[in-house]
Amino acid sequence: MLLGELKSRVGDFFSRLRGELGERELENILWDFQISLMEADVALEIAEDIVDDLRESFMKNKSRDVVKERFKEKLEEILNKAKPERGLLELISEGDKPYVILFLGVNGTGKTTTIAKVAHYLSREGLDVVIAAGDTFRAGAIEQIEEHARRLGVKLVKHDVGADSAAVAYDAIKHAEARGKDIVLIDTAGRMQTNRNLMDELRKIARVSKPDMKVFVGDALSGNDVVDQATTFDREIGVDSIILAKMDAAKGGCAISLAYVLEKPILFLGTGQKYEDLMEFDPQLLIDLIIGD
Amino acid sequence: MLDLLGKSLSSVIRKISSTALVDERLVKEIVRDIQRALLRADVNVKLVLDLSKRIEERALKEDPPRGLSRKQHLIKIVYEEIVALVGEGKKIVPRGKPFKVLMIGIQGSGKTTSAIKLGRYYQKRGYKTGVICADTYRPGALDQLLQLGEKAGIEIYGERNESDPIKIVSHGLEKFRNFDLVLIDTAGRHKEEEGLLREMEELSKVVNPDEVMLVLDATIGQEAGKQAKAFHERAKVGSIFLSKMDGSAKGGGAISAVAETGAKVAFIGIGERIDDIEEFDPEGFVSRLLGMGDLKSLLQKAKEIGELEEMRRTIEDIMKGKFTLKNFYDQIVALGKAGPIKRIIQMIPGLSLGESDLEISEEKLRRYKAIIESMTREEILNPKIINRSRIRRIAKGSGTTTQEVKELLNEYFTVERLMRRIRKKGIKPRDLARLMRGMRV
Repeated sequence: MLLGELKSRVGDFFSRLRGELGERELENILWDFQISLMEADVALEIAEDIVDDLRESFMKNKSRDVVKERFKEKLEEILNKAKPERGLLELISEGDKPYVILFLGVNGTGKTTTIAKVAHYLSREGLDVVIAAGDTFRAGAIEQIEEHARRLGVKLVKHDVGADSAAVAYDAIKHAEARGKDIVLIDTAGRMQTNRNLMDELRKIARVSKPDMKVFVGDALSGNDVVDQATTFDREIGVDSIILAKMDAAKGGCAISLAYVLEKPILFLGTGQKYEDLMEFDPQLLIDLIIGD
Repeated sequence: MLDLLGKSLSSVIRKISSTALVDERLVKEIVRDIQRALLRADVNVKLVLDLSKRIEERALKEDPPRGLSRKQHLIKIVYEEIVALVGEGKKIVPRGKPFKVLMIGIQGSGKTTSAIKLGRYYQKRGYKTGVICADTYRPGALDQLLQLGEKAGIEIYGERNESDPIKIVSHGLEKFRNFDLVLIDTAGRHKEEEGLLREMEELSKVVNPDEVMLVLDATIGQEAGKQAKAFHERAKVGSIFLSKMDGSAKGGGAISAVAETGAKVAFIGIGERIDDIEEFDPEGFVSRLLGMGDLKSLLQKAKEIGELEEMRRTIEDIMKGKFTLKNFYDQIVALGKAGPIKRIIQMIPGLSLGESDLEISEEKLRRYKAIIESMTREEILNPKIINRSRIRRIAKGSGTTTQEVKELLNEYFTVERLMRRIRKKGIKPRDLARLMRGMRV
């Protein structure tokens, strides 16, 4: 998991880099490395950009160590764009009560499970959480989040199937205000970012709930499309931060892609089926995993 | 920021097509663009590299068929090579009672929605269908199925308080034993979850499914192949349901999954409603993969050119020998059916013949047959000798009128003249058109 497999490919790459390489050899080596990056789900253009930088660095210095340093810098440049300046708890303590978080993303990325994990994380910190069962479209969605809320001992505000999601969100916020709750987590139905009507609906939910934070939940297994998803949600609704689910199944290159393109903080990585399987995103940890020592 | 969404391949190709000279360098350039389009569509990197090598070789070696530009030919090669990888798609015809389909896949790939879509698809086609909920992990899984089942008019079997999916499935199979089709919806799992994979393996042994269908999310990236392989090793995957094809993802992961499992794509999911399901269509899939919409018309054109060539040969064969009344009769018969000439007529631009124009009445055909059978061998081979008295004899012998015999002969001579001219000057579409008009009975 987490780019671990990439590490040995990175090692191969640097061991092949020698000062006296001919142009053709160098291109082959760089191309192989680009393939390794792409195989870890780093988007094509980003892999190209990284490799271009390494080529330039090599041409200038003909030194493996300099290139290695450049690679590390490059990863830092990219991943630090996704480094949260402040943690979620800090943001919550600074904001007004209740702190409202809206979760969005395409179908099946793991929004509901992620909300349960975040609710678990926050209540363990002693915060009082309300969940709004805003996915009133998908069959079984309300029951799913209801069961999570029950297991976690967290308040759930729900309407019936087919109800207006914005109204559910509104009620949950009103409830939190009345009871002095700290946080409202709003679930929404998954939607393809290309679906006009559903994006309009989401915009309405955002307008009504005025969230302090809009979180894009991405599937770490997705390939190049995740970039399009995230940029479209950002353009249409606005995205403040990212959570990447199913990281335990993925190579995780899409963390690099998202950091590169969106330049938004990645709050957490989802790493399993249990409520605890939520990891704070740490660029340095990823870089160590990729480069090693 | 880089142009991450990329230019569509068609715009690149349009640009290239304006270049006069098509040489090796240009082919390489185009192949590179195709390569990038495929990588962006999440096709496995290694597969893309092999593929582009083959495409480049063929593009440089093969001459485009007459009527196709080099650019079009290249796209045709790309299409053929990708279809060779992804296959034509699988048709699943449920047989035996009940036909059991085990639906497996990663969390969030869309198994439950796809199960209902599939059930609905077959139920509409007359198969009595039931769905068993074997997902005992995800909260709300059974509720989801029950709600969807009610909407779709499909019976659902599930047990709320049973945590062993094998027990549930056994009971469900018992309940649905007189159904035509039983779909088993399972919990999501992935290749790192050994316990869940083992559970799936056991489930598969107990169910002994007629078909194991892997539900694959169209947005999946490079892990598609490895994940599919892990599933395949534990429960032999026979087909793939490619879900979420209504978004912007191209579904290139399906190619990797096919390559790793040997299974073929059977269906695609194209929306949120229960009827948003389509049989897999390789042409549509490849068009999408390459980001170009006009592939279908190109392929159509390539196919027509192929047919036209075939017809040209047929006609040339006919013309090598003498064009006799016998040939004429054969062509009329062919014209009545979906014969080669009929297809040629339909291809001729500007000649808008409807299907009905090409139909010859059975009655007329019968009469013509009788007329020709009443001729001597000499008359058939050399109709010029047929004079008035012969016409009268033939009409009498065939039970037709002299008018009808003359009509047949006139038509024959028209076509025969055309054939002679074509033999001298080669076939022009205009001639074909006239040829056909001459044959219209």
